Amino acid sequence: MAETKPLIGLTWEPKLPGLSLDTKTCSTSSKRVESHESSSLWMSKSELVDGLCLPPNDPKKINKMIRKQIKDTTGSNWFDMPAPTMTPELKRDLQLLKLRTVMDPAVHYKKSVSRSKLAEKYFQIGTVIEPAEEFYGRLTKKNRKATLADELVSDPKVSQYRKRKVKEIEEKSRAVTNKKWKKKGNQTTNKKQRRN
Amino acid sequence: MRPPVTGGRGGGGFRGGRDGGGRGFGGGRSFGGGRSGDRGRSGPRGRGRGAPRGRGGPPRGGMKGGSKVIVEPHRHAGVFIAKGKEDALVTKNLVPGEAVYNEKRISVQNEDGTKVEYRVWNPFRSKLAAAILGGVDNIWIKPGAKVLYLGAASGTTVSHVSDLVGPEGCVYAVEFSHRSGRDLVNMAKKRTNVIPIIEDARHPAKYRMLVGMVDVIFSDVAQPDQARILALNASFFLKTGGHFVISIKANCIDSTVAAEAVFQSEVKKLQQEQFKPAEQVTLEPFERDHACVVGGYRMPKKQKTPAS
Repeated sequence: MAETKPLIGLTWEPKLPGLSLDTKTCSTSSKRVESHESSSLWMSKSELVDGLCLPPNDPKKINKMIRKQIKDTTGSNWFDMPAPTMTPELKRDLQLLKLRTVMDPAVHYKKSVSRSKLAEKYFQIGTVIEPAEEFYGRLTKKNRKATLADELVSDPKVSQYRKRKVKEIEEKSRAVTNKKWKKKGNQTTNKKQRRN
Repeated sequence: MRPPVTGGRGGGGFRGGRDGGGRGFGGGRSFGGGRSGDRGRSGPRGRGRGAPRGRGGPPRGGMKGGSKVIVEPHRHAGVFIAKGKEDALVTKNLVPGEAVYNEKRISVQNEDGTKVEYRVWNPFRSKLAAAILGGVDNIWIKPGAKVLYLGAASGTTVSHVSDLVGPEGCVYAVEFSHRSGRDLVNMAKKRTNVIPIIEDARHPAKYRMLVGMVDVIFSDVAQPDQARILALNASFFLKTGGHFVISIKANCIDSTVAAEAVFQSEVKKLQQEQFKPAEQVTLEPFERDHACVVGGYRMPKKQKTPAS
């Protein structure tokens, strides 16, 4: 009968069934290791190497970690243009850009239905700086606005066109309702006369 | 021995810009290298460069100073579009706060506080911009590229190419005229990635020590032998599998023949010189009887994979 020495501390053995000579010692040691691992639940198994926290060896995981840290940009092809944080004002400006064909009947734009995914995600809002020769053609401080939407609303040409269109629509709808109302009135009077 | 080539008579240049004038409608003599017509000095008939065209006063466009625009990436790398009431092609300014030819600029403040500036690229003054707006498939000039620019003139388009390639790229700008060269050198002082070369593009051996191997050659020399000039420079400086962009002005090559026939003959000349033209675009709304041809040089043959 082989003598079994009492275990002091932890012994490490490779967890391969073919290599372990002493089955009893192997089983006890594995139990000890399992209990040790269960005590440190807060650390993931992949990151624990001999009780030390090391970065993962897997390049995919490393790339993921790096990607999280880097800010979302277009990449070097467009000089790392950053993606802006979406605000309601920005959303409104983008919607206006899509619907700008309606704003002015005289101006025609190319159809931008198939806008690239780059353009949808990455963009910047800027202010035009006029050259010195166009000093008198610039917008005055009073007329300058914070967003594209405010600018369009304050533009007299656009507002005139908008008012005219609204009036036309109102007149059309008013005419229709009047006719209906008149018809209704005639019908009710006729009914009353018939009853009498 | 042949006398040195001087400029031809000015005239016939449809280079007027919509706002702020173009480059002179004829008159005077074109100085240096025989760049006929379109860059002539103002004579008794000509308006000269930068003269106001049409009525004066404020611009009637939507991109007034102080108005807001949205800048977004274009299909071509390094190029952007500014969208507002009007659309404009823009490039990111390598030297913020500096305008090269009194063009409009767009200032952007990022969320982290950094300021970025874009310069509006006028297609009426730049044939490359006209080609992009004409819908060319690939201009091959992108950030980090090395470009040899033949016929740089005062450096208006060169400045935008310099913006395109960015600080990692490099532009070798060749111009024979000393008068235009002055403006080019002054522009290059502020832009570290532009190397001005005041030499004749017909003799690339004279500047072979200044220029390294390049990825793209852009040629805008408007000469009858421009295909030969391009081939000569390509043999010196263009790498195998590199690309070329050439602007062809029909009137400069043969004014008696139809423009389409001239373009066809030029393309044939290019094919004989180991160039492989991939596409041809007309610059019609911006330039009259001009075309832009893009292609590759000594392109490696596609190896057929053995069918398994």
